[in-house]
Amino acid sequence: MRIARDVLERFTELPADNRELRLLLDDLGLEVKRVEDLDGPLTFTLELLANRGDHHCYEGVAREIVGRTGLGLRTVATTPLDLSVGNWPVERHTPLVLTYTATVLVRDGEAGTLSAEDLRTLEAAGIHSISAPVDATNLANLEIGQPTHVFDADKVDGPIILRESVAGERAWPLFSEEHVELPAGTLVVADRSKILAVAGVIGCEDSKATEATTRLVVESATFDPVSVRKASRALSIHTDSSARFERGADPEKAVLGAGRVVHLLEGAGWRRDGGTSRVGIWEDPVRVIEITAAGTNGFLETALSAEAIAEILERYGFGVAFEGETLRVRVPSWRLWDVAFPADLYEEVAKSVGYNATPVSLPPVDLGALPGAAETRRQAVDEVLVGNGFYEVFTDGFYGSWAVEGLGVDELHPLASHVTTRNSLERSYSLLKNNCLAQAVSAVATNAHRRTDDVKLFEWTRTFHPVEAPEGDKTRSPSKERAVLWAIASGRAFPGSWSDKSLVDALFLKGVVQELAVELGLDLALDVPSTSDPLHDCLHPGRQASITLDGARVGILGEVHPAVLKNFKIKRGRPVYLEIRADALLAEGSPPVFIEPDSTQPIERHLTFSLPPRVEAQSIAAVIDAFGPEWLTHVHIVDRFDHLTVPAGPDGSGEPRRAITFELTFSPGSSGQSRSADEVNGALEQLVAEVERQYGSAGVVQR
Amino acid sequence: MSTPDVQSILDAFRAELREASTPAQLDELKRRHTGKSSPVKLLMKGLRDVDPADRPAIAASFNECAKTIEAELQSAASAIEARALEAQLEAEWMDLSMPGLAMARGGRHPLTLMEERCMAVMRQLGFTVVEGPEVEHPYYNFDALNIPEHHPARDMQDTFWVDAGWLLRSHTTTVQARVLEQRPQLPIRVASYGRVYRNEAVDATHLAMFHQFEGIWVDRGLTFAHLKGTLEFIARALYGDHRIRFKPKFYPYTEPSVGVDLECSVCRGSGTSGGRSCEACHAAGWVTILGAGMVHPKLLIEFGYDPAEVTGIAFGLGTTRMAAQKAGVTKIRSLYEQDQRVMRSLKRGG
Repeated sequence: MRIARDVLERFTELPADNRELRLLLDDLGLEVKRVEDLDGPLTFTLELLANRGDHHCYEGVAREIVGRTGLGLRTVATTPLDLSVGNWPVERHTPLVLTYTATVLVRDGEAGTLSAEDLRTLEAAGIHSISAPVDATNLANLEIGQPTHVFDADKVDGPIILRESVAGERAWPLFSEEHVELPAGTLVVADRSKILAVAGVIGCEDSKATEATTRLVVESATFDPVSVRKASRALSIHTDSSARFERGADPEKAVLGAGRVVHLLEGAGWRRDGGTSRVGIWEDPVRVIEITAAGTNGFLETALSAEAIAEILERYGFGVAFEGETLRVRVPSWRLWDVAFPADLYEEVAKSVGYNATPVSLPPVDLGALPGAAETRRQAVDEVLVGNGFYEVFTDGFYGSWAVEGLGVDELHPLASHVTTRNSLERSYSLLKNNCLAQAVSAVATNAHRRTDDVKLFEWTRTFHPVEAPEGDKTRSPSKERAVLWAIASGRAFPGSWSDKSLVDALFLKGVVQELAVELGLDLALDVPSTSDPLHDCLHPGRQASITLDGARVGILGEVHPAVLKNFKIKRGRPVYLEIRADALLAEGSPPVFIEPDSTQPIERHLTFSLPPRVEAQSIAAVIDAFGPEWLTHVHIVDRFDHLTVPAGPDGSGEPRRAITFELTFSPGSSGQSRSADEVNGALEQLVAEVERQYGSAGVVQR
Repeated sequence: MSTPDVQSILDAFRAELREASTPAQLDELKRRHTGKSSPVKLLMKGLRDVDPADRPAIAASFNECAKTIEAELQSAASAIEARALEAQLEAEWMDLSMPGLAMARGGRHPLTLMEERCMAVMRQLGFTVVEGPEVEHPYYNFDALNIPEHHPARDMQDTFWVDAGWLLRSHTTTVQARVLEQRPQLPIRVASYGRVYRNEAVDATHLAMFHQFEGIWVDRGLTFAHLKGTLEFIARALYGDHRIRFKPKFYPYTEPSVGVDLECSVCRGSGTSGGRSCEACHAAGWVTILGAGMVHPKLLIEFGYDPAEVTGIAFGLGTTRMAAQKAGVTKIRSLYEQDQRVMRSLKRGG
């Protein structure tokens, strides 16, 4: 809302200094967003509180100032109306019209205009002059916050009928190019043949006053806030009138508003033709709230007397009566919509004193709490990932169909099933994400497009999975939410290195998982991939694994499927991806068990086996571990060398093989008795024989 | 046997020593001049044929010769070792102007860091973290929070509606409602943070998803002064010793509602900077950092508390905007774009 200083001064006294006035307005919650002092009067653009319809006028702003200053509130001149006999029949068929008045004005001569001062008032608020009748309604609303409307009386067919629209009924709102259909039940002002106005929102073309109009019906009313709001939203028509009504208008101001419009038009060549018709006389429910000085002071930690509190409330227009120590506070008609509790009155007192002037104290507190276990463990996870070069990111909670198409799954695939948004403004927000892979791969593609090929990203997020749920049941969500951690890496493992050009692969991510296991004290391990994992089809079939915790599947790891990369137009790099359930990572772990190192030198030997494809190195290590002597303490894989078998076929090509070197560590024996070389060599021979017995037929041989 | 024999042995040794330049040559020289068949040892073997009267003196000269050879061999060995070391060091020069080779660390997101910072402040007041669902029932997002259907406040938070009449939470205040519904023992001091959603057209400064941080404190005897004291504590802990001010605001779930402004760090509250309107605060001199209030009596009644007995403090922080401000990011959308250049620059600068 834009207000001019000189107009506001007509309603109450203001600080002389403009900066002081600005600070005062801010302090009252009438936040100044802009100050303009160009060619016209000094104007302030205010951001009004969303619940205070009564602030939408000069009088309301001035009353708020008076509540602080205690200086008098002045108002505008109005013409007293004769309500005894109305001159235009009005029929009310709905209780949603709280009160309604109709006053007829006529003019005999040329159309006049409002005074120059009134027109400047409109102009300062950014309202252009149209005609005296329209200007008068706009000015009345601007001054005292009562929306009014004028109809060309000669276009009104019979009595004014206040009712709700029926299905299929159409109206022609002002400034619209054509008639629009109204939702059934819309509150309307009609005559016998048409709709004159969408009540509280906008008038209609077929009854509008023009330059040629010589007879007016001035409407001033109070409509049900929710009805106005529903109509405004349904038609996407938002006016000063609807803004005022949907926040709750003053039901006692309809007559006053009409009187102001009449007064203004009487100055522009119009005269009343008979009395004012009125239906729905407001019956004051006399909302009374009881407070005490002790309660008020207890809430605010102030030391105000009951009389001082009463005086403050009276500045805002509240009526106060004492009953012993109790203040019986009568809520004024313009505050019926937002004042209902003692706390609402405490707010008024606090505003009058000043939010910055009331006491400040810190409540007594216990000793501060330590971070929870989950917070600490999450930080530990972050530390592992960050230490391995990953950057944390945030992705949206939703995506569009592009994500499903990118993953290349059909409509029967579990990843095609989503919780959906029903009203998103953008198509890319239509599906709540049920996986993180699509956004992760998309992030790699985006970075590649920006010439960043070495990517390591991670995120803690949630996925949403549809669940059958009846409409509206607050105990049964249509979505099962899963908190997960995902990470994706592509390009070089050591991006800053000019010496190590190795690329990330699934083993790199396996190393990350192993470090997480160590850091968290969890038995995280890799197992054979599960075809039931929804992401199974989106990862390379030969380069993926399940992640398990204590044997139960909690995640997946692997290289992104080449077909998915193609869909995302990724031509460089082979991204690898992992996803682990957050609850698994944040579960309580076990601290490492310390073992005192042996003081004697261990005995180390190497065994190398040549393995054909599909024989896992770890299965050979397991045989060595299981069949080695008791004094075999560790088996580690320390080297891999890719080679080909001796060419056997006519084309001269050999079978691709891996030479895997295992480092075996033996205990040197009890002190003073070192183990003999023959003893160690004998054990090695037995192990070679066992490995070849178990895996020889598969092609495993010692090198 | 005579001194000249010794001298000739020494001369011959020294001549060969001058030619020796490697440890191997020195070892060979040592073998030949200190071993059993070395000239000086052979002379010593001939001592038995020497007149006993002369023998001590001659033996002493032989011993002196042997010692001299040992000493000069040792000295030469040291010199050769020193030269070898010097050569090794020279050869091993490393160009340390090359980039370092340790794994370059990544970085946590500024939002996470901001959330942790806020939580660290809240912990000092005894707050703990509570989480809630992002897909919510409108009861927890609106109705329980004093925002009935068709209330204008629903316009303040354009909503993503999802299946079965549920929605994506438009604020983390939903968690407060769920906590109060559980009726835990007083005092209640919980904070919640995370993603919230608004169905808005996205541009550089408007997002359909962003982050909030909220806290609620419910107990007997909490006052408006406590609210201000708590907000002041939070503001100073997060922003340092800047001037703050309180102003009336409207939030449906608090009454009275309060906004907390921080003095603009650019114009120091004057509204002008460099003779022009301050852009950082739009000439207001203040920047809003917090929204807060006393828990609305309707909420307390909704969850079975008597507002005459029990009161509450609630507050919310826009962590997305706070993180952006702290990091110097003007286009907040970039915090959500997974652009590794942005994340790298936020971590490492440049």
